[in-house]
Amino acid sequence: MDIKTETRIVFIAPTSDLTPDRIARLVHNLGHEVSVKETCYGVVLQGPKDAVKLTLDEVRKMDPNRIYSKIRAFPMGDLRRCRAHHGSRPGFAQLEKEWKDLCLVEQGLICLEKGEVPPTPSKRQRIPVNELKKLIDEVPQ
Amino acid sequence: MKIFLMPPNSLILFDLVERFGHEPLSLMKALRDRVTSNEIEAPPLNVTLDDVKLGLKYAGIEIPSGIRGRLAVYGPLIDEAEAAIFMEDAPYSFGCVGCQRTNELAKLLVRKRKVPILSLDYPANEEEAKDMVYKVKSFLEGLK
Repeated sequence: MDIKTETRIVFIAPTSDLTPDRIARLVHNLGHEVSVKETCYGVVLQGPKDAVKLTLDEVRKMDPNRIYSKIRAFPMGDLRRCRAHHGSRPGFAQLEKEWKDLCLVEQGLICLEKGEVPPTPSKRQRIPVNELKKLIDEVPQ
Repeated sequence: MKIFLMPPNSLILFDLVERFGHEPLSLMKALRDRVTSNEIEAPPLNVTLDDVKLGLKYAGIEIPSGIRGRLAVYGPLIDEAEAAIFMEDAPYSFGCVGCQRTNELAKLLVRKRKVPILSLDYPANEEEAKDMVYKVKSFLEGLK
């Protein structure tokens, strides 16, 4: 594959009202040389680097704080990864966890937009021993 | 500036670094060159014998080849890094023990390079997320 070609995953945060279908329609309407594929979490874009960047900028405008993206190593529809061809998806647990966290990150971005300085969060506590004991007792022997 | 990420394939960090105007050094970009080259068509997909030898620059011969192979991919990114952001406390499902050990070694290599580092935890609630995004932005702005 050409070095100038780029594949990008676009994620829609769980709190967004957007659907992958709406993003795909927008990408088609833009008329850039970019292929788009709908997925459960958003879309996958593939095309020349510049065109992908331009498209991504336009897609982001739809919901700036709820659309996230990263580069994807494997090309779109690669037989080794594509589910349609029974490909494996070893990194899915991480994608799923980070996708769930996007609604939290969104709050951070909104906070920055407003120019607020967030309060220092309270330190995480370990579970007290008594509560742990209670949990152990609850589990049937 | 070029920012090394840990986990190196993190979506949240990649997006934030790019949003705030820096270049994330991601694992995906490094792997892309490998998986799309004609040399690698069958499993193990992303590491060649040469990579394992290349990994010797970053890890000793006694280190398992799996970790050395991974470091062959991470290593050049670490060499390029001008700053780094680490996100700790990831769930167990993020990878195997080999991945974890590789990450620990990679973090050590970054620390040895004496570049500015920001260490964070994966946010568990809104308060922590706000603090995380704020810290990432301040850190990246401070680098300019």
